[in-house]
Amino acid sequence: MIVRYERWGAWVKLETEAAVVALDRAGVRALGLDGGHVWGSQTSVSAPIEIHMAVTARCGAGCEGCYLDVSPDGVEPPRAELERELDAAAAAGVFTVAFGGGEPTTREDLDVLADAARARGLTPVVTTSGLGLSDARLEKLRHFDQVNVSYDGEGDTYAAVRGFDASDAAGRAIERLARAGVRVGVNVVLTRQSFPRVHETVARARALGAIEAQLLRYKPAGRAASLDYLARRLSTDQARSLGPTLRRLAREHGDTGKFHVRIDCALVAFLSADPELAADAAGLARFGVFGCEAAGALAAFTVDGRVAPCSFAASTRLPALSLSAHAGDPELARWRAYVDGPPEPCASCSLRSVCKGGCKVVSGFLEGVHGPDPECPRVIEARRERAA
Amino acid sequence: MSDERDLDEDNIRALRAGHGANCSSIGSVIDTLFATATVGAAVFAAVVAALKKEEVRVVGADGGTRPAEQKPAEKP
Repeated sequence: MIVRYERWGAWVKLETEAAVVALDRAGVRALGLDGGHVWGSQTSVSAPIEIHMAVTARCGAGCEGCYLDVSPDGVEPPRAELERELDAAAAAGVFTVAFGGGEPTTREDLDVLADAARARGLTPVVTTSGLGLSDARLEKLRHFDQVNVSYDGEGDTYAAVRGFDASDAAGRAIERLARAGVRVGVNVVLTRQSFPRVHETVARARALGAIEAQLLRYKPAGRAASLDYLARRLSTDQARSLGPTLRRLAREHGDTGKFHVRIDCALVAFLSADPELAADAAGLARFGVFGCEAAGALAAFTVDGRVAPCSFAASTRLPALSLSAHAGDPELARWRAYVDGPPEPCASCSLRSVCKGGCKVVSGFLEGVHGPDPECPRVIEARRERAA
Repeated sequence: MSDERDLDEDNIRALRAGHGANCSSIGSVIDTLFATATVGAAVFAAVVAALKKEEVRVVGADGGTRPAEQKPAEKP
């Protein structure tokens, strides 16, 4: 296992189980360790445990809602530069590096980069569209601990999210990866159009061989930062129904432990509409559910070698090579400060400790400020009551 | 003498299952939250078992990756 001390104990990444555990101080002592000066430190800023690394800005898919606005002739950083960034991540105590882009499989050296991450003690994972997955590219993906394929549904559902229908190609990629013994999951972007089919989409992904489905909130970044966002984002009723939707998905797929459903950080705010979940922040925390961890447990390395709070946020001036200096970066500190002291209605929300104020990328796009997530059902209700 | 590490589920503040491979936003397994107590207990039991037996390596910004300075404690 790999242990990284925190003021409250330590983050532990297991190696025989695919899991990261927050262990209290007594548990750390039981390992024969002592946090020493970290436990005595007055600072509460810890490094990310997960980095999302853009390894290319090249992609020919042309998805309408691409959050990075990448293109077929985008830049591809030299491998040596990315390896130095991996050094910086390892030195900071990061556990997992998720490669993205752009389309990572366009890199000829993707397998070498995965091995480079692993050699540094990092768990390499990757997201791909699955389009153009040649045998050679599939072989390179074997070097990752998990590969997620973007799969928003079949036919029109896929097309409604991305602007074209490549669901067959993505489905074939899932199937081939699974047959090759690769742990493969799917990323399912939830839009107003794809949400009604989510049960069908997850079932299809599982039938193709996926072991996990991660549901993602559609976010206004890159090409998606346009008026069109308003037509694609989940409706308020859909957002409110996330809790029941997850329960049904858990009933349909979570019984054997062989298939898991994940939600992304930005969806956690929607759980405030579910009385049972809203009252169980401790349960969510115990199962490691993360809300907005931008500039906290999560950071992104942009394709130009800068640190960003998350993949959807603008980069800071901090070089990726200086990740260990993250605590002193004023922009990252600004993101963390909001989480530490959000205004109402977040301040009094029972889910605050988990949700952490919802998605700041959404609030920044819609309202121009780091504020309460304007699509959160609880925020909408509070504003309606205030206006009445 | 036993070298069994004396820790249990109560020492676990949070358990994040799986790797997750999305490159744009951080994800969390949610289905275990709705699972039966038996399934939930099995997940934690597997993790506790791993915590008791895996070799330890300490990493961090204050010195980078390095071997643990201390050996696992022996239980009297």
